[in-house]
Amino acid sequence: MDATLISLGLNPMPAKIISMVIICLIVLIAFVTIGGVLTVVERRISGFMQARLGPNRVGPQGSLQWLADGIKLILKEDLIPDGADRTLFKIAPYFCLIGVFGTMVVFPWGSGVMVADLNVGLFYFISITALVVFGVLMAGWSSNNKWSLLGGMRAAAQIVSYEIPVGMGLLVPILFSGTLSMGGIMAVQGWAPWEWIVFQSPFTVMSFCIFFIGSLAEANRTPFDLPEAESELVSGYCTEYTGFRYAVFFLSEWANLFVLGGLTTAVFLGGGNLPDFLADYTFLSVLVYMAKVSVIIFVVIWLRWTLPRFRIDQLMNLSWKYLLPGAFVAFLGQAIYMLITQHIPAVQTTVAVLMFLVFVFILIRFFIRVRVNMREQQIPVNSPASDVPLT
Amino acid sequence: MTSALKTEYLTINMGPQHPSTHGVIRFILKTDGEIIHECDPDVGYLHRGIEKLAESITWQGFVPYTDRVDYVCAMNSNLAYCMAVEKLMGMDSEIPKRAEYIRVIVSEMNRISSHAVAIGAADMDMGAFTPFIHFLREREHINDLFEMICGARLTYNYICIGGVNADVSPTFLSKTAEFLDHFEPIVEQINRLISYNQIFIKRFADVAIVPPKMAIDYNLVGPNLRGSGVKFDIRKDKPYSIYPEVDFNVPIGTGRAGTLGDCYDRYMVRVEEINESIKIIRQCLKQIPDGETKAIVKSSIKPPKGHIYFRTETPRGDTGYFIVSDGKTSPARLKIRTGSFTGMSIIPEIARGVFIADLVAIIGSLDVVAPELDR
Amino acid sequence: MMGAYFQNIKNGFTTVFEGMSITFATMFVRKETVQYPEVDITSNKTIAEKYKGSLMGMPDNYRGVLILENGLCTACQICQRTCPIDCIAIENAKCDKTKPTDKDGKPVLNRFTQKEAIKTRALTRFDINIAKCMFCGLCEAACPTGAIHHTKQFEMNRECQEDLVLRFVSDGEKEIAVKRAEEIEAEAEAKKAAKAEKEKEAKEKEEQEKGAEE
Repeated sequence: MDATLISLGLNPMPAKIISMVIICLIVLIAFVTIGGVLTVVERRISGFMQARLGPNRVGPQGSLQWLADGIKLILKEDLIPDGADRTLFKIAPYFCLIGVFGTMVVFPWGSGVMVADLNVGLFYFISITALVVFGVLMAGWSSNNKWSLLGGMRAAAQIVSYEIPVGMGLLVPILFSGTLSMGGIMAVQGWAPWEWIVFQSPFTVMSFCIFFIGSLAEANRTPFDLPEAESELVSGYCTEYTGFRYAVFFLSEWANLFVLGGLTTAVFLGGGNLPDFLADYTFLSVLVYMAKVSVIIFVVIWLRWTLPRFRIDQLMNLSWKYLLPGAFVAFLGQAIYMLITQHIPAVQTTVAVLMFLVFVFILIRFFIRVRVNMREQQIPVNSPASDVPLT
Repeated sequence: MTSALKTEYLTINMGPQHPSTHGVIRFILKTDGEIIHECDPDVGYLHRGIEKLAESITWQGFVPYTDRVDYVCAMNSNLAYCMAVEKLMGMDSEIPKRAEYIRVIVSEMNRISSHAVAIGAADMDMGAFTPFIHFLREREHINDLFEMICGARLTYNYICIGGVNADVSPTFLSKTAEFLDHFEPIVEQINRLISYNQIFIKRFADVAIVPPKMAIDYNLVGPNLRGSGVKFDIRKDKPYSIYPEVDFNVPIGTGRAGTLGDCYDRYMVRVEEINESIKIIRQCLKQIPDGETKAIVKSSIKPPKGHIYFRTETPRGDTGYFIVSDGKTSPARLKIRTGSFTGMSIIPEIARGVFIADLVAIIGSLDVVAPELDR
Repeated sequence: MMGAYFQNIKNGFTTVFEGMSITFATMFVRKETVQYPEVDITSNKTIAEKYKGSLMGMPDNYRGVLILENGLCTACQICQRTCPIDCIAIENAKCDKTKPTDKDGKPVLNRFTQKEAIKTRALTRFDINIAKCMFCGLCEAACPTGAIHHTKQFEMNRECQEDLVLRFVSDGEKEIAVKRAEEIEAEAEAKKAAKAEKEKEAKEKEEQEKGAEE
């Protein structure tokens, strides 16, 4: 883009800056849209899971609800509570925003479609998302509200604890691929499910579970939404926030959901890889990638509307007593497994296919249960058959 | 060596503006971080002076007010008051049999809907929103059925002194039977969704343990008392209406997931009571006779001088009406004894040393309903 | 100890699995939402037109806003006395003795005594304060002629509280009734006077007769 600007007669330096600003704006708008649309998607899905419809008034099927919400939030009075630490209170939401949007740099939109394929991509990813905790902690502290403070403290304790299992969980794919770069990790996987890292061995499955649970906690999603536990802490760290600042918190939360899905897909689920004969179609790759991300996002939303919330001590128990030992076992196990089987690819393929078959079996079991539960819910009530005609 | 660092407790005001107390209850908490050191409940935000109001309106005119005493189970409130007045007038043997059966059917239906709300609200306080909506969906069907017989969805004013206000149609009976067939598997399904969930069990088990002795000392009633393993149910131990004629069990806490008398026991007692109520209604639907639904009662009654205390088993436990009559057209004094109040009074005792998150679980498991608490 | 550890993990996964299957199943069953202003909920028939769920419409005995059928009312004030919160205000005046009739012109029976209802007083005021009303149905149950009863109307948004007071007797009707009452009063007065006159005359006559006898 800067080349175009230079050809229009601009000096290289301003051209670079202008093009950077334009790219940033594009990314920002894309993320805002994604975050906004996800709020509607979540509300619709939660509605369907609770036998109701959810928002369906603004736009076709309620798809523009997020715009209406955004306009409402921006028009609201911007309130800073008395006795608040004004500076911290004002900048806290943007820390959250930066923490999430910073991941854009290495976010893979498909095979070979990314802003920068850093050679420390994953490391950068984990580091920049840790910025979110600063924002949350600042918001909790500066609000001059005890509920906010408790929420901020919970968030700090939670995110610091869960960084470790998440990092350890990510070590297994790194071990498998031998690189920290996002593009590199995607490149070692194939298009078929048994070529994905998640199905490589029992240990990768384990690390996937640990990583997924841990990143749920980092994204403050149920069952780990303690920092803003509605029924306990009013609204946690964002109790005192109104208007635009609240919208920013909201947006970064849902954008974080998207980032979570993107990272999981890229690292464990084969990214946007296509079979060889389709490899030239980048657009298709992006599509496949987005489909996988949507599935992960759906699962996260689905979990939220199924599970109750942990208590703070149980949360810590889970992290330190279950996830962390599990992550170590997975890491060591994968290392030993790779040592043993490094010269016999046949065993590796067999194990991978086997893991995939187990997954398919669980899926079938699942759909059988779904059918049973559907039948139970469909037992008629208030049917015309029960009307007794008046004689 | 004593700690040189001086610390003080954090005083937090939980409620009335708090999502889990929604404007009607207030707790003043002294906490050490997240651990509650002292919990001081503050009641009276929904006090409407219903007991005093009774002294200025007629005996029949007070029936709609009993709907408002506990609007989650208005039928049971109606029943408690009407039976007390009938007893006072000495006409409790004149109530037609069909009216008695209808009374039991509707009050057990209301017990189901009340417990459904109680369980759902407990789930919602734990952060699981879906079971609550599922229970409300089923409660809508009960409301529909009630609307069919009395024309109102929440404050029914259906049971009246001398019987019931209107006869039920055969359609109502068949629709009720159909609803029960629909509802029974749903209860089990929602149990699988939430009650047997590992996270949920861990949240409720071993929290706020009330030993049997303590439950009796604090005068807990109803499911809260039975959750502590004390087998006492007015329907069985001091039977009224047609309860002696139907067969049902009294579920009690057994320490299902941990210790006897914890939150999970109280919660599961309610779940099992729903199933017992379904059993009772099924029997009543089979046995219901034909006939009148209301005894002849004058439009303006004047019970003889005297007083009465009559207790019935409502979803929130033993609800008693103490009525003094001086032979005039309105009660001289009326006092309502409710289960929520004693449930609330035990909270400071059991909420010591638990997390803030557990306090929400305690409120949910005790099923404190603010209008009944404050009257 | 170790057994409990793995049992926890296993239970955690299996119960979440089951819970997720239930929420997933719910996505594909009938939605219970009634999109109210678009779906006419006033009866089982109308609700079935647009709504495919299993909830019922409003029953015929629904307790909505109260309405008075002026023609049937005998101004007996029983409803006013029965109402526990005094939301009904009635004032009446004397009128000609009539028998209220229903739409078909048949005389209305008193529901409790099964005798024909007789109207001796006319309404000059019948106000129901819907803002106070708690829709308990006691007045409907007590009314001997079925003049006051609940409707299925439940949408009562008004701009101010005064608009929530339903007035069933217009000023014109009130004037007529008051005038008529005054006439009746005057007639009665006149009758009384005439009667008194007559009596007086009779007395005088009697006295005269007595005097004549003497």
